[in-house]
Amino acid sequence: MTATQRRNRTRARNAPPPSRSTWLWVGLVTVVIGAALIAVFASRDSSSPSQPGVAQTRPVQITGAPLPALGSGADPAVGLPIPEVQGAGFDGTPLAITRDGRPKLVMFVAHWCPHCQREVPLIVAHLRTATVPAGVDLFAVSTAASDARPNFPPSAWLADEGWGVRTLVDSASSEASAAFGVSGFPFFVAVDANGNVVARTSGEISMDTFDGLVARAAGRDDRAPDPTLPVR
Amino acid sequence: MTVDEVSLFLALLAVLTEAGVLAGAVLAAGGRVVPTLGRARDAALAAVGPQALALAFAIAAVSMAGSLYFSEVANFTPCRLCWYQRICMYPLVPLLGIAAWRRDLAIRPYGIVLALSGLAISSYHVLLERVPSLESSSVCEVSNPCTLIWVERLGYLTIPAMALSGFAGIALLLLIARERR
Repeated sequence: MTATQRRNRTRARNAPPPSRSTWLWVGLVTVVIGAALIAVFASRDSSSPSQPGVAQTRPVQITGAPLPALGSGADPAVGLPIPEVQGAGFDGTPLAITRDGRPKLVMFVAHWCPHCQREVPLIVAHLRTATVPAGVDLFAVSTAASDARPNFPPSAWLADEGWGVRTLVDSASSEASAAFGVSGFPFFVAVDANGNVVARTSGEISMDTFDGLVARAAGRDDRAPDPTLPVR
Repeated sequence: MTVDEVSLFLALLAVLTEAGVLAGAVLAAGGRVVPTLGRARDAALAAVGPQALALAFAIAAVSMAGSLYFSEVANFTPCRLCWYQRICMYPLVPLLGIAAWRRDLAIRPYGIVLALSGLAISSYHVLLERVPSLESSSVCEVSNPCTLIWVERLGYLTIPAMALSGFAGIALLLLIARERR
């Protein structure tokens, strides 16, 4: 053993033991590296569900003047004709919301919106037992779809909920939604047989309100007025 | 790393922070009653106290990096409450960094106020996520509602829940920060 080696050995023997702070930092770094490894390995097989071949946005064609946005006061769109939307459903079947002489209720839903996620099952359950007046069409529009947002894709979400309402798929830039003046989700537009807006409302609604909207679209105003809806 | 990996990594760090906060609370409360816990509290204070500013800086820096990753890389748009939490967290990074470097304990009241403000906002945000009907209306904003849950890991850790853990950790560390001997 050389003199230098002997000196190094003695120095190492006399060095102070690692302090508690050193152990703290070593432990912390070890845990952080461990967390990184766990994150990498645990996330290997996780991937967001997708429906290959099902388009979550589709081009739409809009004719007619857009409706003004729904504000907090009286709805300026009531009495105005709805814009006509030509598009397709999730499976590509052509679908149109037009002024075709039939009253209708149009519902705009966004897959990521928690209020839509709560409203859709309520409507599904309600429609199992409720009777929609003859001649009134129900439409939904799946809008604001984004694969960066939760609960994507909307086609899978609505299928899982047992959604049976004909659903038009809005474009990537949500043109149908903008044309109807959607100001929040979920959004409901009651349209009379002349193709004019009877009432609009946004947010979660009770099933009494839902029935009230359908009745208004059908031209039956014999129901007690709903305080959540603008009175016309 | 993918968004899934990064979010799980940050969630695990949040769990680590929560464990630290919980242990701190148990030691602080139990140490007054049980002598063994009191000794453990003193030992923990002696070990962590002198490093508290640096640890608080590390939490703030990771929180800021995670927040920027979610918005700039994962493209999760920050909502209004997210911005308020950023207002509380981001200044903590340079403030605590400089204070840790200079071993300046005078930062404590300023840092605690920022951390507790962030803690209050993130608590409210977590509550909104769990009970969306607490919002003034039951409507999702068309653009970016605060009720939107972008990420949820380990069954409960959303982005504001991770921020809550970070704020709680920073506040606790600033409370126990001590001078190095």
